Amino acid sequence: MDAHVLLVEDDASIREVATLGLEQAGFRVTASGDGRDGLARFRQGPFDLVVLDVMLPSLDGFEVCKEIRRESQTPIVMLTARSELHDVVVGLELGADDYVTKPFELPELVARIKAVLRRSTAGPPEGTIAIHDLEIDPGSFSVRRGGEDVPLTATEFRLLLELARRPKQVFTRELLLDLVWNYDYLGDSRLVDVAVQRLRAKIEEDPKQPKLIHTVRGVGYRLNPE
Amino acid sequence: MLAVGVSAAALAAGSYLVVRHNLLADSVDTAERQARQNLAIVPTYIQDGPTALLEAYQRGGGNFQTAGVNRGRPFSSTFQVNLRQVPADVRRLVKKGELAYARKTVAGTHYLVVGGSAGPNTELYYFFSEQDLQRELGQLRTILLAGVGILMLVAAFVGALLARSTLLPVARASDAARSLAEGLLETRLPVEGRDEFGVWAQSFNEMAAALEAKISALSAAQARERRFTADVAHELRTPLTALVGEASLLAEHIESMPLESRRPAELLIADVGRLRRLVEDLMEISRFDAARESVQAESVDLGSLARATVRARGWDGQVRLEAEDVVISSDPRRLEGIVANLVGNALDHGGREVSVRVGRDGPSAFVEVSDDGPGIAAEHLPHLFERFYKADPARSGAGTGLGLAIAQENARLLGGRIEVWSEVGKGTRFTLRL
Repeated sequence: MDAHVLLVEDDASIREVATLGLEQAGFRVTASGDGRDGLARFRQGPFDLVVLDVMLPSLDGFEVCKEIRRESQTPIVMLTARSELHDVVVGLELGADDYVTKPFELPELVARIKAVLRRSTAGPPEGTIAIHDLEIDPGSFSVRRGGEDVPLTATEFRLLLELARRPKQVFTRELLLDLVWNYDYLGDSRLVDVAVQRLRAKIEEDPKQPKLIHTVRGVGYRLNPE
Repeated sequence: MLAVGVSAAALAAGSYLVVRHNLLADSVDTAERQARQNLAIVPTYIQDGPTALLEAYQRGGGNFQTAGVNRGRPFSSTFQVNLRQVPADVRRLVKKGELAYARKTVAGTHYLVVGGSAGPNTELYYFFSEQDLQRELGQLRTILLAGVGILMLVAAFVGALLARSTLLPVARASDAARSLAEGLLETRLPVEGRDEFGVWAQSFNEMAAALEAKISALSAAQARERRFTADVAHELRTPLTALVGEASLLAEHIESMPLESRRPAELLIADVGRLRRLVEDLMEISRFDAARESVQAESVDLGSLARATVRARGWDGQVRLEAEDVVISSDPRRLEGIVANLVGNALDHGGREVSVRVGRDGPSAFVEVSDDGPGIAAEHLPHLFERFYKADPARSGAGTGLGLAIAQENARLLGGRIEVWSEVGKGTRFTLRL
């Protein structure tokens, strides 16, 4: 597989052990202990994925995440403290694809990284799906609206694709967590809610009054072209 | 008030009796004098028969009526009185030659009957009406009774007024004490006047102020302590994350380690796991303390949640599950945590038979986890949900001591509670009610 991972984590021990663990899991790892330095290294890239701690010297993880999203859709996994409930949501809103809470076991981190990478790996070739004014091309991971590219992260793209493959079907959050995030058991439903918000912001004309992705209260979401 | 009433009544009764006694005695004196005069003229007229005597009395204008007997023949001045109406003991005394009197009511009229003898064969009895006297006494009685009644009413009214002005501060103080007890620590009493109540209100206020200061100091100390716990847990997280990572790397290579370091490595890995659970529990409980927890409610089938919880932890073979379809709106992650904690406890402490029952009980849903283990002694039951409470100090190994406290906090956050039933030798049953 040999994917190249950028790890930005300020604690030397965690950085070293995570590097070792990821390398043993078959990844190539570039490690950085500082926000600014991490961002500089990212720009020298390319990387297949970024693992980003929140608390970082010089530039915190949220800022780094925001900067990366400004210029690229490279998958990001945040390392957050579960006690900082708010951090999780902030990270997701800034465009992180998933998160792992500290303390974590290495297999957990590896599993999350693999799940995120799987989203950006093409499956069997499929035809383009046209819905409303959108053209979704699973082969090239691109979405076009009126001929123009809509930049989506791997997670947002998968989410749109799953919904678009079966329009009008209601997807529970649980099902979406399984299909998109590969959580087979009790994932965090905020992952779905925040991703839907971000997706709406990119593809809906008025994200506050969505015409494509509808909320089914108490159940989940449904793509319903009008 | 009662004292006023009683003394007024006694005074009235006393005056009435004195007045009555004097009036009656005067009446007897007057009647006696008249009777003696009457008797004195008897010998002059009686030879001509009783009629002459009675006519003489009438001419004299006496306000009395007469009955008598002369040589065995009774006579009387009017139809209203006659000899038979004279009391027997009066006649007996008269026959002995004495002057005698008695009071007697005839046809509704009060009379004073005075009798005497005029010679051996003549008895005379004079009926003096005391009707006026009795009427006056009756009026006096009425006046005195009314006076006492009015006095009692006035006393009652004044008493109530007095009581109110005395009791009002007391009622206010008792309200203040109650609101203080209910936690309104800023409660104070108005200090009015320099009487005992003013002084008392001031003392009450001083006490309330001292209490308020004490309690706010205590809660500040508690908040500091809780913040400290949260900070410690927070600071522990970074080295712990490294430790957990290192332990999981070590675990992967345990097979290739030399035999003598394998066991210490296994112990290290297990203890890192224990430390991780403890720190995570500490972080979770300090999140409850900081009220930073929120509920993410969605539609949950309790039965499938319990089944998934048991399966995800590999407890399938050890737990009997009996579940109805119970769909509620709640936070599945928290529910999962609670169920896992209860089942895990039952497996750790309980016996061979651990069963989970999911159902509905009226408006509420329940998850019941029971075991046939050794049970918990009654004295421990009220403390089970306290932090770090250990029913059996010897068994400190398995849990962090925070599991049930966290489970109960979670249950409360979801608007429910966990109840426990246990009997030594029979088993234990925890019930989550939502």
